[in-house]
Amino acid sequence: MLKNRVKELRARYGFTQSDLGKRVDVTRQTIAFIEKGEFSPSITLALKLADALETKVDDLFWLEEEEYNEK
Amino acid sequence: MKNDFRLNYPLWMMAFILLLGVLAFGLNSPITEFVNTENETSFTIKLEALEGFLVFCSILLYFAMLVIFMARLKKHNKENPSQKISPLAIRPPEYLEQDEGMTYITRKAVQKVYSFITLALPLLATLVILLPLPKLLIIYGILAIAFGQYLIYYLEVRKHFKEETE
Repeated sequence: MLKNRVKELRARYGFTQSDLGKRVDVTRQTIAFIEKGEFSPSITLALKLADALETKVDDLFWLEEEEYNEK
Repeated sequence: MKNDFRLNYPLWMMAFILLLGVLAFGLNSPITEFVNTENETSFTIKLEALEGFLVFCSILLYFAMLVIFMARLKKHNKENPSQKISPLAIRPPEYLEQDEGMTYITRKAVQKVYSFITLALPLLATLVILLPLPKLLIIYGILAIAFGQYLIYYLEVRKHFKEETE
């Protein structure tokens, strides 16, 4: 499962889900789905999110350890 | 987003389907008379009191709902000029596809609907072939499938939005 720090970094920058959504051109709901891990974003959106949160994609998203090691 | 007309669109369709069911009941057992002579060609439909009342009320209600539906549609189009819904569009207007997250939710809901249709249609066809079902029951079967597909779609999309707001 894809894990992420979107919620943590968003809070650090004081963005609401709507703010971040506007910055990366998606709806607030999509940000919420990503934060919950319900939906894995495309590479394009992951890059946009990393850019908006001033971090690297692999600091923002990573595969859960167990699943990653099994493969 | 919660008040987005596209989210409530399946509810409207379900209401129209229910109304169509009432109308079908009313029109199911009319006494029809077809006269075709040298002097006269006429087709008469006589309804019993209850059926006539149901037909009258359902047609009246249907047009009332249609007016409200069109007003809501117009309001949606005015408030969302980039996501206008055409009442004549072939593509289902309930699809939420403004970004990849919404497309994902829509795809999940549509997959469930597809699974339902895949089972329900052959089942109905088999029942109709094997059993001597009256016309009204066949109509109700078709309406039930139509109702079911909207219900499945609505509940699936709503589930995601409900979780998202919690």
